[in-house]
Amino acid sequence: MQTQHLHIVFIWYWISVIFMPAYAFNFEADFKLITTQKVFTAGTPVTLEFTTKNNTQPQLYVSNSFGATLLTPTAIKNRIQYSIPQHIASKTGVIYWSLRTAKTPLNGQLTIVSAPAVDLIQTYLGPPSISAGANDYTMLVAIPTDAYDNPLTDGTKVAVKRQFLNTQRIDTVTIQHSISYKNIFSTLKTGRILISSSCYAFNSKEYDVNVMPAPPYDFKIRYHRHHHFADGNQITTFTTSTIKDAYGNTTSDGTYVEFFIKTKANYILKTSGTTLDGVATAKMIHPNHEDTWSVKAFVDGMAESDALVLNYKAVISDFDLTRSTDNRKITVGPLFSFMHQMIPDGLEVTLDVYRNAILIETLRKGTSEGYVNFKLNPNQFPKGNYTFKVHAASITKTLNAVALW
Amino acid sequence: MNPATSNKHLILALLIGIVFHGTSIFFTLETTYDALIHLFFAEHYAGSWFEPWNYKWYTGFTVMSYPPLVHQSIAALSFIGGLKFGMFTVALIAIVLFITGAYRFSLLITSSRTVAGYAAILAVLSSSFVETLHVFGQLPSIIGISILMHSLPEIYLWLKTGRLRYLFTSLSLISVTVTSHHVTPIFGMVFFIFPLIGTVIMDVSRTQVNTMKEVTFKIFLASFFKLFKRIVTFGLLSLVIIITCILPYWINSKKNPITQVPIPHGSRDNFMEITSSGLVFFLIPWGVLLILLPYIFYRYYSKRYLFFGFSITILTVLGTGGTTPIPRLFLGETAFNILTLDRFTLWASIMSIPLFGEFVYRLAEGDLKTLIQAKLGAIYHRIIGGLFAGLFLFMTIFTMSLNYFRPSQPQKIKMLPIVNFLNQDQHDHWRYMTLGFGDQMAWLAAQTKALSVDGNYHSARRLPELTTRPIERLENSKFKGVEGIGSLQQFLTTPEKYNFKYIFSNDKFYDPILYFCGWQRLRQLENGIQVWEKLNVPPLSSILPKEDVGRWQKILWGIMPFTTVLIAFILNIQLMWIRALKTGRKTIPDYLQFQNNYTVFNRNVLRITHVWSLFVAVIVCYGIHLFYIKNDSHHSPDNAILAYYDAIDFKRYEKAHSLINPKSNLPLAQYMLEISVTDGLLSSYAKLDAITTKITAQSDTLAAVVVSTKWITPLEKISKTDYRTLAKVNGKWYVNPEDINLDLPPDQFYAGNTTAYFNQGRRRISTEQTHHEDVLKQPVLEILYAKLVKYQKSYALIGEIQNVDNVPADVVLKATLYNDANKTLATYNAKYQIKHKLMPKEVSAFRINFEGIAWSKTQDSIPKTFNPDEFTPVEFEEQPTKFNLQAAGNVSGSDLYKKSVLSHLKFSKEGFSGQLFNSGLKEITIPQLLISYFDSSKTLVWVDHVFVKEGIRQQRQQYFEYKFEKDSVSIINEDMTNCFVNGLPNSDIADKVIPNRIKDQTYSQLQAITHPVYSYIKIETNAYLGHPD
Repeated sequence: MQTQHLHIVFIWYWISVIFMPAYAFNFEADFKLITTQKVFTAGTPVTLEFTTKNNTQPQLYVSNSFGATLLTPTAIKNRIQYSIPQHIASKTGVIYWSLRTAKTPLNGQLTIVSAPAVDLIQTYLGPPSISAGANDYTMLVAIPTDAYDNPLTDGTKVAVKRQFLNTQRIDTVTIQHSISYKNIFSTLKTGRILISSSCYAFNSKEYDVNVMPAPPYDFKIRYHRHHHFADGNQITTFTTSTIKDAYGNTTSDGTYVEFFIKTKANYILKTSGTTLDGVATAKMIHPNHEDTWSVKAFVDGMAESDALVLNYKAVISDFDLTRSTDNRKITVGPLFSFMHQMIPDGLEVTLDVYRNAILIETLRKGTSEGYVNFKLNPNQFPKGNYTFKVHAASITKTLNAVALW
Repeated sequence: MNPATSNKHLILALLIGIVFHGTSIFFTLETTYDALIHLFFAEHYAGSWFEPWNYKWYTGFTVMSYPPLVHQSIAALSFIGGLKFGMFTVALIAIVLFITGAYRFSLLITSSRTVAGYAAILAVLSSSFVETLHVFGQLPSIIGISILMHSLPEIYLWLKTGRLRYLFTSLSLISVTVTSHHVTPIFGMVFFIFPLIGTVIMDVSRTQVNTMKEVTFKIFLASFFKLFKRIVTFGLLSLVIIITCILPYWINSKKNPITQVPIPHGSRDNFMEITSSGLVFFLIPWGVLLILLPYIFYRYYSKRYLFFGFSITILTVLGTGGTTPIPRLFLGETAFNILTLDRFTLWASIMSIPLFGEFVYRLAEGDLKTLIQAKLGAIYHRIIGGLFAGLFLFMTIFTMSLNYFRPSQPQKIKMLPIVNFLNQDQHDHWRYMTLGFGDQMAWLAAQTKALSVDGNYHSARRLPELTTRPIERLENSKFKGVEGIGSLQQFLTTPEKYNFKYIFSNDKFYDPILYFCGWQRLRQLENGIQVWEKLNVPPLSSILPKEDVGRWQKILWGIMPFTTVLIAFILNIQLMWIRALKTGRKTIPDYLQFQNNYTVFNRNVLRITHVWSLFVAVIVCYGIHLFYIKNDSHHSPDNAILAYYDAIDFKRYEKAHSLINPKSNLPLAQYMLEISVTDGLLSSYAKLDAITTKITAQSDTLAAVVVSTKWITPLEKISKTDYRTLAKVNGKWYVNPEDINLDLPPDQFYAGNTTAYFNQGRRRISTEQTHHEDVLKQPVLEILYAKLVKYQKSYALIGEIQNVDNVPADVVLKATLYNDANKTLATYNAKYQIKHKLMPKEVSAFRINFEGIAWSKTQDSIPKTFNPDEFTPVEFEEQPTKFNLQAAGNVSGSDLYKKSVLSHLKFSKEGFSGQLFNSGLKEITIPQLLISYFDSSKTLVWVDHVFVKEGIRQQRQQYFEYKFEKDSVSIINEDMTNCFVNGLPNSDIADKVIPNRIKDQTYSQLQAITHPVYSYIKIETNAYLGHPD
């Protein structure tokens, strides 16, 4: 902008300033504001006093951000008084007033500020749990308010106190835009951070934030079994080492750990466990035939274990097949286990029935005291020649061209 | 009889009626089909008399869909002594009205006070009335027909005498009829009033000649033209009354025409095939009148009553439902499918009342008595009389006890705990649903201010999910086959659409579908009702939509019914009381001038009645014989098998055991033990739908049977083929028992640790809404993959989701499909193909199908057979190309059992088999497998599921089989930018929570398969526990 223009602006400004009061006075000579106080503390009585020349008693229009109202004055001699009602006078902010005279209204504004005393600290804290590792944080928002629910003036100091394990710490933040806040970063260790705030000797209640473990880290697994025989009955238990995160915190209870078991035939069996104090336990029933298992556990996308190799020795090397005269009852057994004891009940034996080299049915049955009896229902298997394949513990025996009667 | 003396028979009828029905309604009315529905409507009027919109059912409906008089009467009386007081009082009034109505109608027909008195007594105990009141609870219908009967003499007198007062009285009564029941005056016009007009014309003709025989068609026609003005006046005015009195009803019917798929009703069945319908809708309403049919037809086809003869013939035929094709042809397809045909039988039986009274009068003290005594002797007369009376009373008692022996409703449920639950904790800010409550749901609805998605008045259904299926209500959907369960699961899968959060279940059957749709058990109330809840459902908004009607309609609707009653009361009170109780008037009404001659009973009629009775007796005996043969379980191998499976289906194990071969040495205790250790979808949640037996071999003592069974379960339809053998022992057929699983686990007693959760919140005892300190953080989920795929002709969203938080989460997935122009095409939630509850760090594959509202377009192609897992893909008008996936996690501590283990796997080209091993401490009721398919580059392309039919006990194994998908799947879109978790972008969450994710870490452990399309699969397990605690 050019300099001479700036001069013109200044001159106009001063002319306005000098002539303004006279200008106003000329038109509003009837009423004049006596009250000089422009700033009030919330809750104190606020009265506007005017002098009046004639005895008219105009209404005063008052408004703040909560609403507006009209006030009628009380007259004392040649003065009129307006007391601003409590519900307006107790809210911080600007009150606009306007005297409703017949001519151009007389306007003005008042400011209400909060008292420097705290009645309540409104506190918001979230999220209520954060992840360990000093990256994640929670935010404490403290809003100290006075007795009239007004936030305290900007710049007021608020102390944010926190306790974690053996440490205590006080931070001071100031109120800005009516609120004060503090980002509280997580610790490396899991645990509970207790937080409170205070302002003008008023203390908030206790709040807490849980620092939860960070994603787990790689771990080890081990197993336990009663014997190493593939009897299809006993149970092998897999256990993880204590699963921890990168900061040495035990992973939270209930963390899901999946165990993948790769068999010799490249089939992947699956079991799972959830951690308790960092240790997950999973169970798997023994195979019913000789097998080698390679076991690995995962917390999907985050951690995995070392691989574990287990061998299961076959318990059944051979078994007998006997048939009834009409061939409709096939007895499998005795099935002996590793000490020549009868195999525990429930070992699955299957009988594949073929007719003209086509598998027509598979019967499954569990052993009972070392034997399995298959009864061939004449209904299902009409008279004719069949081929039978009996599978037990990965041993297959075939009966060719058996005639059913 | 002197008209000045009071009619003892009528007084007796009233006394018996009030004592008999008045006391028994307290034990029957609440368990009837309809009474509680009327109570619910009454509750509506009691709360808002002039506001017809009711929010409580079907996301809102108008009560202008049913005539209001009875409901408003109950409502008005409820202000004195409560709703039930109102209902019973109205029922008492209905009883009195019916008896007096029957009396007046009989008097009109027979012109004899004694005969009418007899008829009134018989009407009190007639099986059709007993059934309508005590079994069906159709109060409006009873009041409607009673008032109609009251109006008939007035109509007669108007037509006959032409005195205006009778026109007004008859019209006033018609108006009361129409405000209590809309169908009654319309069909009453056709079946009662038209024949009555005919009779009046006959009577007028008769007065012009000396005998009835002289009445020719010419004279008849002349009389007709003479009376034409009166007939037309009455006809037009009653039409005006029928329309104006319930004008809002007609407007509403016009505005919301019944476009619903017809709901099957027993009265439309073939009574020969479905004998239970025949019993309820034909045999009982007719009752002993069946024997009198020849007499009734003989009398009604005499010249004076000729038109009643036509009318009762039509009613009788229409009442036979689907037994003969005539009703369908006569009414047309639409009317046949909308109307319930039992009302025709009811009206036929009511029309027969006067003649029934006449017959009994003649048998007891008239010419029939003389004839029988003269011809067959006094003893025969007494025996016949005794037999007849005995049969009549038997039918009455049988009908009364129908609900006792075959309850149509579940046991009475104490509603207070449910009402309290809904009032607590703002539970009524969501909609609820009941399951297995029967019509008692209406009573619950009347007691609570909470809203239900379901309802009990099918004509008022509005949601297309309901109107497109022939189901009355979701509540009893298991009885409605595929349509029922199909409709129910749509509500269960997308409950947030209806702000539907709570389910009160009185039927274990629905538990699995609730679980697999993502619902969780909350607790059992003290009345045994299980409460289920769904997480992540927003509460109802405080302003709900409604269809408003004009103020004049509301005022008319609120005022008209009572006005009609008031006018009818003022106009008729004199006539009704004075004539009924004989205290004042002396003039004899015109219709009493046409006395019948009860001196000579037609011998041929007696003969025919005898022959007919014999015929009926033979049919009944044959029926009983068939019934016996069909129900003698040991009669044939078929019977034994059917009885055995029936007993198993209804869990009558002692009965089932009695059908087991006694030589198999299977004691009941052992049998029960074997039953008790089997659990699972098939043994605990299946309902036998169809069974066919085929005997493949049979000798004198042995039989082999192939039994094909179809079972309905809440999740899917199961077909099973069993090969059973039977043996004949001591002339009776028995079923040979099957082998049982012998598996014996290694551990006798063992311990296990689990993580248990409890959310006690931080809530102070305050009604403050969602105090922020009480709100738990939503668990953070991460969507690992999501892609839109096309499989055959339908689209689906598949993917994987992980709970990356430290607390267990309930997962709700909601997907929306868009086309290229970003137009929304379909929205649906994940149903069965996901693990709805995830432990921390657990992954689940998921698939979201987009289901349309089934059969909404092809109304006539509704499948007749049941198939709960039938799936109707939504019909896309445009090609979906983009998707939006919203995942919401909520903390949940229930249904976290993860102990099903995959073992003993075996793969082939077609599929795989294996054993599921239960390694935990709880019994698995329904195991589920989720199978993800990958292509050769280990890209997820498809997700499938299978339910294993049998449950698994602790440390036991269960064999399963699975067949691979054959068809290939094409991926349409893999862009995951529009995936959100708890409202935040998925990618942001992923970066923040698991920044160092090892991508596809467990893909190293995918199972390779030999398959032309897919190269790898992943198997996940999920389990529903029937008894988690």
